[in-house]
Amino acid sequence: MAEIYPSLVQCAIVAAAFKILLFPAYKSTDFEVHRNWLAITHSLPLWDWYYENTSEWTLDYPPFFAYFEWIMSQVAKLADPAMIWVHNLEYDSWQTVYFQRWTVIVTELVLVYALQMFVDSTHGVSKRAAQAAAVSILLSPGLLIIDHIHFQYNGVLYGILIASLVLAKKKSSLLASGLVFAALLCMKHIYLYLAPAYFVYLLRVYCLSPKSIFRIQFFNCVKLGGGIAAIFAAAFGPFALRNQIPQIFSRLFPFSRGLCHAYWAPNVWAMYSFIDRVLISLAPRIGLPIKADALNSVTRGLVGDTSFAVLPDITPRMCFVLTLLFQAIPLIKLFMRPTWEGFIGAVTLCGYASFLFGWHVHEKAILLVIIPFSLIALKDRRYLGAFRPLAVAGHVSLFPLIFTPAEFPIKTIYTIFWLVLFLMAFDRLAPAPTRQRLFLFDRLSTAYITVGIPLIFYCSLMHGIIFGKSYEFLPLMFTSSYSAIGVVGSWLGFMVVYFTE
Amino acid sequence: MAGPSPHKPRRKAKRAGGNGPSNLPVIMEREALVRVPSFPLAAFLWPARSSVSQWELLPLILMVVGLFRWAAGLWGYSGFKKPPLFGDYEAQRHWMEITTHLPISQWYFHDLEWWGLDYPPLTAYHSWICGKIGSLIDPAWFALYDSRGSHDPTLKIFMRATVLVSEYLIYIPAAVIFVRRFSRLSDVPAWTSSVALVAILMQPATILIDHVHFQYNTVMLGFVLASMSSMLAGRNLWASFFFVLALGFKQMALYYAFSVFAYLLAVCVFPRINIPRFIGIALVTVVSFAILLLPVVAGTLSEASRGITAHPDGAYPPLPLFSDLAKHLNTEAFYYPVVEQLVQIIHRVFPFARGLFEDKVANFWCAMNVVIKLREYPAELLQKGALVATLAAIVPPNLILFLRPNKHLQPNKLLLPLAFATTAWGFFLFSYQVHEKSVLLPLMPMTLLLAGKQGLGNKRAWVGFANILGCWTMYPLLQRVDLRVPYTVLTLLWAYLLGLPPTSLNAYFQDGSSIWSQWATAFIHGFFYLTMAFWHVLDMFVVAPKDKPDLWVVANVGVGAVGFSLCYLWCLGSLVIESEILTSWTGKKMKTKTQ
Repeated sequence: MAEIYPSLVQCAIVAAAFKILLFPAYKSTDFEVHRNWLAITHSLPLWDWYYENTSEWTLDYPPFFAYFEWIMSQVAKLADPAMIWVHNLEYDSWQTVYFQRWTVIVTELVLVYALQMFVDSTHGVSKRAAQAAAVSILLSPGLLIIDHIHFQYNGVLYGILIASLVLAKKKSSLLASGLVFAALLCMKHIYLYLAPAYFVYLLRVYCLSPKSIFRIQFFNCVKLGGGIAAIFAAAFGPFALRNQIPQIFSRLFPFSRGLCHAYWAPNVWAMYSFIDRVLISLAPRIGLPIKADALNSVTRGLVGDTSFAVLPDITPRMCFVLTLLFQAIPLIKLFMRPTWEGFIGAVTLCGYASFLFGWHVHEKAILLVIIPFSLIALKDRRYLGAFRPLAVAGHVSLFPLIFTPAEFPIKTIYTIFWLVLFLMAFDRLAPAPTRQRLFLFDRLSTAYITVGIPLIFYCSLMHGIIFGKSYEFLPLMFTSSYSAIGVVGSWLGFMVVYFTE
Repeated sequence: MAGPSPHKPRRKAKRAGGNGPSNLPVIMEREALVRVPSFPLAAFLWPARSSVSQWELLPLILMVVGLFRWAAGLWGYSGFKKPPLFGDYEAQRHWMEITTHLPISQWYFHDLEWWGLDYPPLTAYHSWICGKIGSLIDPAWFALYDSRGSHDPTLKIFMRATVLVSEYLIYIPAAVIFVRRFSRLSDVPAWTSSVALVAILMQPATILIDHVHFQYNTVMLGFVLASMSSMLAGRNLWASFFFVLALGFKQMALYYAFSVFAYLLAVCVFPRINIPRFIGIALVTVVSFAILLLPVVAGTLSEASRGITAHPDGAYPPLPLFSDLAKHLNTEAFYYPVVEQLVQIIHRVFPFARGLFEDKVANFWCAMNVVIKLREYPAELLQKGALVATLAAIVPPNLILFLRPNKHLQPNKLLLPLAFATTAWGFFLFSYQVHEKSVLLPLMPMTLLLAGKQGLGNKRAWVGFANILGCWTMYPLLQRVDLRVPYTVLTLLWAYLLGLPPTSLNAYFQDGSSIWSQWATAFIHGFFYLTMAFWHVLDMFVVAPKDKPDLWVVANVGVGAVGFSLCYLWCLGSLVIESEILTSWTGKKMKTKTQ
């Protein structure tokens, strides 16, 4: 079959040109975070890395990411030696900016490579669809906003995730898939959210016999277990030698944070908070008691919102139980029928569950759902129907990350461009389903997308004109509640698709 | 695995190239059915070849080119933190400041040392509108005197937005319509014309000068495009109206004036002399100019009656030009302020008093100056020399445009971009007072060739060469304000998209021209591309000798002038070939049946 155009490399080249033009764009404190980590890993001995606290942005990623920073810092000192001084806080010479922005673009090549692996692993008529999905991930507005404007290294991390997901497709590379995922966990622990799907899938297809779940493939278990142990030893071993593991864990899992992030991620708790807000004004009329202390709490408003005035409070334990529960439901099905597509679906649903019910979820975590989902969104029109509201809601919910006027046209126009292009292309490429479509769901998702247009318009432009600087929380609340409806709706839709498959 | 699905598409697939003529010529079919895209830009539009309507494609194209423009605008602008005078950005901002704060009769007289207004009135009105809107957001941006040299970051965003909006209101619609009409006339399929449209809109020189370095050239170029597009549609009155607007925005549009004149005259003469049409065009031109000047004239009159004069200091300086005129006029008469105003506008807009060339520009005179010190010659001789050389360069293309009708004995519209390009190259190379940014003028019509027959085939190499060389000659200008990164990115991106050196040699070996000419072109261009690359290496790593600090810039100018001369000759040559002068001469001799 002839190559499909445009190729991934062509897209990557043009996208890189655009990203280089974005060098002078707004950058968040994450830029300083990563500069600080370059400085820490370069100028301090290994055993001080997780204790260093000159900057408030302490190292709070697992060791492999720290090693990754150390490697980059070897080049960084050639670009500008001042960049890697621990005490040089908030340093951003143009060499520093060029260097750090370049590292994001260069390390993203891992993503390009992984996506090419994904396209190459698909054969026949669906290759064209796979190419479209791959290009959509490569050009994702999420990655553009978070990595190339806001500043992070998600490109390389999701590249590794996709590589691992693709490796799971072939029986011969199942072990590699598991080990790559273990390494990914040692780079960024947020992927723990997806780990249950990996556990169930690898257990079923690699550790247990395909014929009977009661026959254990013992040698495979040893290989997988040993390999994972070796990877974790490589990551944490040096620190374990000096009993630094508790210190690392206190950095990686700061449980002292609130339920919702400063800005509400579009999940169930955002809807819960929104309902609570509405009830505050309704409560006196319907005779519900209002907790006065919550109402007067200083954290009300934009900052983390952990106490509710009318509805009962949420504890971390409740979040944990709900997350696990909703992860377990698809995993049972995966255990019964372990196909690769079922596995990707389960990974997606694990991402959904943790995003929707997790404690202190950040809106950036939506990529944890969107990116695995993209790989199977073109399976047929039912999948696509569930994917569409997610694509809209997930990306719109990232808008508040970038609030500077110069970048406003970039984030909005780029996202609209991506949505129009790929929703149109996907619509043409997704084959008809073998089963009945959820008729109403399609109509609802179209209606949902239509509502989004005036909402974005209001939140980004009209609100400022009408109210100026007052009621600043309103657009944020609207955006996150709107997005939450989309994410929850698409989750429900995908659950139905997953279980009727 | 879903098999070849039998599902019914939701919408009926539209016929590919749904608006082209139904009997497609052979060349076109070959172009449309090539199995593999021959350069990356074609690959990007590859999935849209069939069953995607142009109306679905166009918004996507406009979004992408807009994103690149805005992202490029995040970089610095001319004169950023470069006191005392700053740069073009400050000039444009200053005009917004004076037009919104001063009475109209003082616009062309106010403190001429600080970026005095020296563009025609439409620019002044445009500045007034932008200034009014900007003052609604933040009056401090345009406060009289106090705002000079302002580097407010929000002001920068506003200024960038005015360039973008002006371009999307004028240049982009004009380009879209022109490309549609021109490719339809040239029998080029709709998909191919979309590819050409992206190539035209991604032209690096325009983006770099307007959206990065800062100016409003696309407004003027957009009016010229609208004028050309009206010519294609046979709307000659609109053509003259738009051209007057172009002239009224930036006098530089005069580069095209000869071709506009030649074409519009031809329309009145061929196939038969049409006096009413001629009078109509003349009338529209005069009326358009009158409308253009009306606000200034009316404003001056009404302000004079209220005692506001152009000279708030009470001075009565003599007329800057035509000083004899004052002897015949009553300086106390009611119309005198208007005369003074109009003379001042002409004086400001056409600075005859300046030298043959300004700074370093890759044209004939500046390059000659390396060999012969031209400044030692009397200015009048140089002016005459420039006039003769320019005329010699621009008469041939316009004669061809005027005299060579198509097979229906009407003026040949397909020759328009080539004739405009040749004329503009002639002006750029030989005329008086050329600025390096003026290279945008010949580049615009030349780039339009991409939308014509064989535009993305064997013409791509030359169009690409002119554009890359054009950007390269502007490098010294751009690097002065640290714009190396956008220069590199936008130029290389365009070269990559169109499969040009340094990324690919594919443009040189296209069907439709002989092997000999393919290799000759590749050889000549190769030499220039290597020189450009080598020059960049020199400029970056080798410091110019102390006694010749401008050596690299001079070298740039010399190479640029030779390359642009080649572009002029190629345009002229293509014009001769496409007008079929040579074949018709031989044809007449042989009396073939086809004639």
